[in-house]
Amino acid sequence: MKMDFDKWALAAAAVVLAVLPFIASGYILYIVNLLMIYIVLALGLHIVIGETGQFALSHAAFYGIGIYVAGIINNAWHPNLVISVLVAGVVAAGLGYLLGALAIRMRDIYLALSTFAFGEAMQWVFLNWNEVTNGSNGYQMSPAWFFGFELTSDLRAYPFTVLGAALMLWVTVWLSRSQLGAAFRAVRESDVAAQAMGVNANVIKRVAFMCSAAYAGMAGGLYTTFASFIHPESLGFWTTILILIMIVVGGIGSVRGAVIGAVIFGLISELLRQMLSFQEIIYGLILIGFMMFAPRGLFSGRRRTRKAAAATGAGSSGGTQA
Amino acid sequence: MSVADIWLFLQQGVLSGLVTGSVYALLAVAVVIVFKTTDVPNFAQGEIFMVGGYVALFMILVLDWHYALVIPVTLIAVAAICALFQRVVMERVIASKGVGVQLVIATLGLAYVLKGAVRQTGLGDAPRSLPALIAPDTVIIGDAVLTRLDLMILSTALVVMLGLYVLFNHTRTGKAMRAVGMNPKASQIVGVSLVRIRMLVWALAGLISAVSAILITPKILITPDIGHIAILAFAAAIVGGITSIPGAIVGGFIIGVAENLVGLFVSTNAIVVAPFLAILIVLVVRPQGILGGKAQVKKV
Amino acid sequence: MKFNAIRRAAMCMAIAGLGLAPAAQAADPGITDTTIRIGLFSPLSGSGMAYGFDVVNAAKMYYDKVNKEGGIHGRKIELVVEDTRCNANDLVAAVKKLVEQDHVFLLNGGSCSAAVVAAREYVERAKVPFFMLNASGDGALYPPSKYIYGAFSISQYAVGGSVVEFAVDHFKAKKIGYINHDDAYGGWNQTAAEFQAKRHDGVSLSVQSINPSINDVTAPMLKVRAADPDVLLLTTYARPAALIIKKAHELGWNKPIVLTVTGTADLTQLVENVGGAAALQNFYIQDVVLGLPSDPKMQWVYDMYKEYYPDLAAKPGHPQSYMPYGLPPAMTVVKALEDAGPEPTREKVLAALQNFKLETGVMASPVEFTPTDHAAQKSAIYMKFDGQNRELIPGTFKSAWTYTPKQ
Repeated sequence: MKMDFDKWALAAAAVVLAVLPFIASGYILYIVNLLMIYIVLALGLHIVIGETGQFALSHAAFYGIGIYVAGIINNAWHPNLVISVLVAGVVAAGLGYLLGALAIRMRDIYLALSTFAFGEAMQWVFLNWNEVTNGSNGYQMSPAWFFGFELTSDLRAYPFTVLGAALMLWVTVWLSRSQLGAAFRAVRESDVAAQAMGVNANVIKRVAFMCSAAYAGMAGGLYTTFASFIHPESLGFWTTILILIMIVVGGIGSVRGAVIGAVIFGLISELLRQMLSFQEIIYGLILIGFMMFAPRGLFSGRRRTRKAAAATGAGSSGGTQA
Repeated sequence: MSVADIWLFLQQGVLSGLVTGSVYALLAVAVVIVFKTTDVPNFAQGEIFMVGGYVALFMILVLDWHYALVIPVTLIAVAAICALFQRVVMERVIASKGVGVQLVIATLGLAYVLKGAVRQTGLGDAPRSLPALIAPDTVIIGDAVLTRLDLMILSTALVVMLGLYVLFNHTRTGKAMRAVGMNPKASQIVGVSLVRIRMLVWALAGLISAVSAILITPKILITPDIGHIAILAFAAAIVGGITSIPGAIVGGFIIGVAENLVGLFVSTNAIVVAPFLAILIVLVVRPQGILGGKAQVKKV
Repeated sequence: MKFNAIRRAAMCMAIAGLGLAPAAQAADPGITDTTIRIGLFSPLSGSGMAYGFDVVNAAKMYYDKVNKEGGIHGRKIELVVEDTRCNANDLVAAVKKLVEQDHVFLLNGGSCSAAVVAAREYVERAKVPFFMLNASGDGALYPPSKYIYGAFSISQYAVGGSVVEFAVDHFKAKKIGYINHDDAYGGWNQTAAEFQAKRHDGVSLSVQSINPSINDVTAPMLKVRAADPDVLLLTTYARPAALIIKKAHELGWNKPIVLTVTGTADLTQLVENVGGAAALQNFYIQDVVLGLPSDPKMQWVYDMYKEYYPDLAAKPGHPQSYMPYGLPPAMTVVKALEDAGPEPTREKVLAALQNFKLETGVMASPVEFTPTDHAAQKSAIYMKFDGQNRELIPGTFKSAWTYTPKQ
């Protein structure tokens, strides 16, 4: 049953996405481009939090790094966008691997807090390193190129963002079915048990950080295909939290959840913009509502072990795992 | 810079830092007691603080009540809102099998709702103050200048700390709170009502936040966005040890003083990033914070 | 994998479809024989609400008045309003919706300078005339763009230059203390302030840049005091400004303090926030409107607001302080449309703005555009404020800074 749902949903999505450029305005395509970026970001966070259980709240920092790297490359050399996106991903991945060292030293709330602090520090760098990022003026980026084709509109960037998101989705599913994916999940359930099974938990954690940062960096690269401006104010804690909300509402540990959560909350965010004064209250109520009535999310994560299932109630998620 | 200048900077920076730090400390204590008992970092603590200020403002501006009435009513109102939220929303999330991250997101929802609600009242926009609780005379300590309000803030923070010490070590409720924090299942077995204790803890955190709001509003001026001060409270809690109440107070003072010293001796631009660097340093060097004791091991 | 193949097929169709993308329209959108559609946008929610909500209302009421009087060359103005939440991504979404979904003829919006810059390249590519509301928007005005007009309140470059000019002229200041913000806004006014200072012999600036969310201003204030300036200039928002004035008073520092228009939104509240008039013994404010809300010359603005929004006017906090700033942009749009003649096109509107001057009856000086400068307001007036009364200092003080393209 589940497999059928996936195939049906993807086929329907493919049809809609293929038809959209012919019937929708550039504004709608802009929104879809943004949703594709959110999907890639959500998949990246899914890998580190959902699959590997490491609470990394530094996602927006890597997204920002990806945007600036791709933007700077585009402005300087106008290479093929594939190059900008890949370089953005690689640079972010490298930094992600380094940051992963924190995951070895701490877990849960401490890891969340230190990655959060790193994210804030990174945003401060974006705001103050004027020579590179143009600081709080924001950074203007010239259009991306693809084999002599210049991407000067949302319509032109559209196939690339959709293709990019589709590719990352495919990679995520492949990863999750691979040995590496199994290793991620082993580390999520228990460090000690993973070690006992021959998995080097420390390395796996760093690899998870690296992968998630790579996703975020590539999302940043894809962003530059349709956006001409970036300001550090969108590269902070609140963006990371938005992505976190997406995977929680979708269902932590579920790839389907990450994608659906990204689409739903990306749309909610834009739709609420039409609602003026009550936006904040409605947004808050939506969050509270989801958490009260569907906290596990719309799609359940991977099969839970007995241990995880037993650890319900009384908010017992803190401290070190026994 | 002459030595006299440096000495002046140090005195004033430290003393003023201790005063602002008291507020970070009080909010950090609120964060810590909720975290210790329920394992949830309360992302709405800053907005609860903000609501405390605006409820008091509303009573003074619109209802025209006297301070003697405003203060207790504000404290009760804020404590009630917090207790209600815990009882109605958080308990429901737990009952629906939500854990850590879902509870945190619920608090985030609360933050948005509170902010949105205050903006609807029309009291928002301009930064607001409360009428002075005490004469604005200045007091000279060495080369530094403080106001009477500053001293009142400092002393209140210490009184609150004392009160909490008494509460947690010499009352049944306080001991029950500690027990729930250490081992919820065992506490339940000996007859402690988890739901009631969690409500009380939230109410207490709300009370402390409202007290600090009334005190500090004339000093830092509130806007509907003043909730961002919670980030400094979290920094303080981490530096002091997120499971230690005395640690939260110490952490608050440290963050307050560090902000000033960084602003005075490095640059004013760096003030805003100093707390995050402090968090990173502490978490890498000594994750449990200065007074956090050993990293806690929870019984599941 | 099967689903991957479907996706690949879809992608090929999409890419091929690009070739069939509709060609650009021949006539300008948003204009018919009886209507002109204008896209109005500003922060209508969230933390930026104070800068946009009533500003949009003011623009709306002016457009409504024009419609009541017969419209422009017989065409009524039709408005589509969007919320930008004072945030770059949302502003871009709002602008794209207005241009591509609602097909507006021109854009009138933007109260947040950092956000407004985000739309610059899109507006130029889409070739839509864009009039800011009350954003200074310096980042989108320099280098000047054919399509973008702004700084109807005042540009930040002008704020910085003007206040330094006032300090030098009125106080004969040599050493000037300057506290601004560490954001783009602050950068702009600081650039012009430094430029203005250099034009006078022996005048130097001692700058402290602070974050708008600062809680303890001990550090910047101590450093200012240590630099021993003749006067202190504040280009901060209202809350940090009040904190600094208060701290200066506590420390017993009583040289003149001048607060630029960035922080003067609610002066009654300012008095309360600084702890009373005692802190305002030597205090001056910058202004860009013709007069205070109580000034008879401004009466028509507030009467008009009450007439159009009786329910809002009865609520506390309304009209918001920046409300009058919505009028000059709307007036400029209407005048440009009128000057473009009975068959307006976007190009004709832009041509009408080439050398443009308009006395609005709202601002201290007229709206002025030249082919090389699209910032409407560049000078300001100053008053001594003792907590109760405002005493006008004669003269308008103009910023000398002009844009020079980078080599």
